[in-house]
Formats: sequence, structure tokens, C-alpha cells
Amino acid sequence: MLSRRLKIKTQANRTVRVHNNSESSGKMIRVIQDGPTITLNQALDNREWRSHRQTQLAKRYPTAVVVSVKLNIPGPIKTSRPLQDLFRRGLGCLRQYVADFPLIDDQILLTRPTGPEAFLVIQGTLTAVKRQAIAFESATVMGRLFDIDTLQAGVATQLSRQDLGYAPRQCLICDQPAKVCIKTSAHQLQAGYQAIQAIYDATMQDAMVIAKPTQAAVVHAAMAGLLYEVSLQPKPGLVDPISPGAHDDMTVMTFIDSSLALMGYFNTAFTIGHDFSGDDLTAMFQTLRVAGREAEQAMFAATHGVNTHKGAIFSLGIMVTAVAYATRLTGTTTAHLQEIMTHMLTGLVAQDLTALAANQKPLTAGEQQYQQYRLTGVRGEAAAGFPVVLHTALPFLQSTTGQTTQRLLDTLMQIAGAIEDTNLIKRAGTPAITAEMQQWVRDYFARGGSKTPAGLAYLTALDDQFIARHLSIGGAADNLILTIFLAKLGGVLV
Amino acid sequence: MEIKQTAIAGTLESSDVQIMLSQSHDGVTFDLVSDVAKQFDDAIKATITQVLAAYDVHNVLVKVVDKGALDMVIRARAITAVQRALDLADEPNWEVL
Repeated sequence: MLSRRLKIKTQANRTVRVHNNSESSGKMIRVIQDGPTITLNQALDNREWRSHRQTQLAKRYPTAVVVSVKLNIPGPIKTSRPLQDLFRRGLGCLRQYVADFPLIDDQILLTRPTGPEAFLVIQGTLTAVKRQAIAFESATVMGRLFDIDTLQAGVATQLSRQDLGYAPRQCLICDQPAKVCIKTSAHQLQAGYQAIQAIYDATMQDAMVIAKPTQAAVVHAAMAGLLYEVSLQPKPGLVDPISPGAHDDMTVMTFIDSSLALMGYFNTAFTIGHDFSGDDLTAMFQTLRVAGREAEQAMFAATHGVNTHKGAIFSLGIMVTAVAYATRLTGTTTAHLQEIMTHMLTGLVAQDLTALAANQKPLTAGEQQYQQYRLTGVRGEAAAGFPVVLHTALPFLQSTTGQTTQRLLDTLMQIAGAIEDTNLIKRAGTPAITAEMQQWVRDYFARGGSKTPAGLAYLTALDDQFIARHLSIGGAADNLILTIFLAKLGGVLV
Repeated sequence: MEIKQTAIAGTLESSDVQIMLSQSHDGVTFDLVSDVAKQFDDAIKATITQVLAAYDVHNVLVKVVDKGALDMVIRARAITAVQRALDLADEPNWEVL
């Protein structure tokens, strides 16, 4: 626990630069730009409302801790889309900090004019939960903007930082305790906005932080990856709950059966990463491969011989193992994960694909295409540490707003336009399909993507066209699964 | 005017103040707890006294728990507390979960 806190602290201590030049004031402040203005009385009434809700929740769950989460934003604007994004992201991160405690209830109120709010009801002791909340507030850059109160029925007052021996919160702008600066109106509002903008920018640019998760959290994130992906609709050619797409041997049920059959495998993959001791991470991967072959058997048994998740067994298995290995002691970042995966897969492309000539077995789609077009497919992606997932899909997903389904459909299309999808190439019979796919993606986003009727209509039409031409984007779907997995662990999807 | 009922306004959150007014017969008496330095005590009392005077309230026990509230917040909370104590405002009726 101690080492985790120290590790993450180095992240937060990175200087967040505040722009003070007068030229930057005004148009630089995008973070509160589109938010509504509220009156003092609205703000004060909201505090009483919150206090009342906290008390009610504490009464309803007398043995649990009520955690109330909000942002500290000075001035008359308390919410905006960027602030709601930041809040959602912070909330996901906070949940990782308290992941050791069971969550009993949660209420997320993202769009209140007085600012986003959340209430988490957590089974744990008051001081332990408060300590984790303070760790989040002080160890992450965005934590400075969060205000987290903990409350338990029968405990007269809320536990303060000072009660636990921590320093009072610092002002966003100077090093004084925040309360003193507020009381003396020490700073201009504009300076506060600049500080908030700087924190927002630093957070959104930062490599994603993954706090040490539990095994259950990792396995659930992996399952969410598989199940969210198949539940999205419409997707070009892929199986969805309404239609089997361009696949005549499977339905959404096949995917659910297959996903369930893989739960044991993800637990095994976690254990492999968590328990691995040694310097050569390729040995860890070889252990995983054995488990992966068993998982393929389990999948085929569950689907009566249909290949639903072979790509995901490979790539998601690697990622689960890498996360478990990276977080044995402390939290991790996506940059560190990428490093671990490249070490795990050193030499893989050379071993697997260049040795094909000697191989008498029937070739997989990826193997055939390596022979035909020198495309390295999922092996190449994995050996590079899934750059499309980490550098394209995840930042894109982070930048999206709206409903989860809308965000994920847009992310799927973003991925489809960014990769050479070996599954698509196999079905099309030519790598020229990649350029065609990129054009479809441009057309889709030109119509506004999943949030506009035109974008959705385009996607539906594309799905029909894919079905007619017997095309599918299985490779993009696998990348989306990985993206969902990391997004769940990093709090990008709450 | 005389206090009709004990009334409370405000919360114990940071930057807020909780003011409780109850009946008394010997002038305005303060019971003040503040998070911030003592130098603000008099300013807090002065602000609340002003509001009480404006409503012609001269006998009241004022319990104050200050969590570093700004003067305008103290004034707004004091006004709400007085209005509730004098039965000039409805008690807030927050939704039941």
C-alpha cells in the first residue's frame, strides 16, 4: 500500500504549469466555456441538498460509508462538458482506489447545473475509505479538483484530512491552505480558471493511470470487453444482438456462451501475470500460450466448433497477464503496460511467422496473409504493444462524450480506419479493402458519427453492404475489446 | 421579533457555515467554532449580527460552525436561518430517496 502511494506520487508531483501571461487569459479557458452560470443561492441550496442526501444514504446503509464526490470549481460556472469528462474520469480512478471495498450503491448525477456529483456507498471502515480518498486527491493531478467527503451513520462529523494527520488542502494557485485564500479572496477568478485548465490539459494528455486492481476487477473488465463489443449495434458485418451480420454460423448467443467459457481463462491469465517471477517475460507469455490453447478448446466446446474469440484469447489474454504483472505491487500506466507487452512478445513475429515454411498444418488467416502480403496482423500489433489501442483508440474514447454505446461505436469506426484488418482483408481477398475502409470511416464521421441520425443511418447502410459483400471487421472488433478492457480499468468507461 | 422555532441553515462542508438559531431571553449570544484563524471570529459575528438587526431580532442563541465561508455565504446562510426561525420561509423539502 505504501509503495503504491509513493509510486503514484511521482506522477502528481510533475509540475502543472499555470499560464500567467495576459495574452492567454480569455480564450485559453475552454474548460468552463459552455457552462451555465448559477447564483450563490443555487450553490448554497445545492449544498443543503447534498448534505441531506448524504444523511439519507447514511441512514439507509447504517453500516456502510457514504462517499460524496464533487468538483471544486471557484466562480459562478460549476459545470461544462469538459468538467463532466474530467469528473467521469476521476470517478473511475477513485473507484480503483477504493476497489478493495465492496460497492453497495452508487448514484452518478453528471449534469446538475451546480456541477457533477456522485454518491458511492462502500462497505468499509470510515478511516480506511477516507485514506484512500485522500490518496486519490493528493496522488493524481486531477485529484486536486475533486472534493470527496466521507460519512458514516452515527459518526457526528465528517472526517477531515487533519483528523487523519494530513495537511489541509492547498490553494489551486499558491501554496497557502485553500481556506485562507478563499477567506481573504487572495486571487482573481481568472487565475483559478487558468489553474483548472492546466490541470484538465495535464490530465487529458497524460498516459492513462491504472490503480492496482483486484483480480475480480480485471476479469470483469475483460468480460465487459467481450460483452460490450457484441452488444453494440449496428456494426459493419459483425455479429450484434439483432443480426448475425456477415457470419452465418453464429449469433449473439454464441458470443455470450463463448465469453462465459473464457472467464476461467482470464482468471488463469491474471494468475500467470501476478505470480510470475523471473526476468524473461517471454517465458510468461509461453505459459500464457499453453493456457490460451486450452481456452480455445473451451471456446470451441461452448460454441460447437465456431471461432468467436480466437483473436481475443490471444490479445486480451496478453493484456490481462500484462496488467496483472504490472500491478503486482503498485498501480501502473498504459506506457508501462506497453513496455511489458513488447518484452513478453519479443521475437514472436520472427518465430511464428517466418517459420511458416516448415509448417505442414493448415494456416490461420493471419499466417496466410503474412505469406501472401507480409502483413503481421495481430501478432505484429501485440509485439508492438498494441499501439493502435493505446495511442489511437483509447485517447479517442477518452475524448468522446455521450452514451457509452455512442462512444464505443465511434471508437470502433476510429479503429477500423486506423488498422489493416486481417479479418477484413481475408474476407475481401485483397489488401486494397483497407483504403476503401478508410473512406467509409471518413464518410461516417463527416455525417457526425453515432450521435447524428445521418451518421447512424450511414452505419446501418454500411452494415447492410458488408453483409451483402460478406465482409466483417473482426480485427477492429478485437482492438475495441482491448480498448474497453483498459478503459474500464482506467476509469474512462464508468 | 422573537424566534418562533429553532432553525438551521448551511452545512458542514468546506467553505460553508452552519448557523443554528434558537430561542433565548438574554440578548444575542454566540457559540462559534471556526476552522480558520481566530482573526475572522469578529467578522463572522459582525455579519450575523447585522442580519439579525435587519430582521429586528434581539434575543437569540446563535450557534455557528464555520468551515471557512466567505462573508457573502455567511450573510446568505444567516438570512435563510432567520427566515426559517421566524417562519417566513418554508423548510426545504428535499426529495426522499
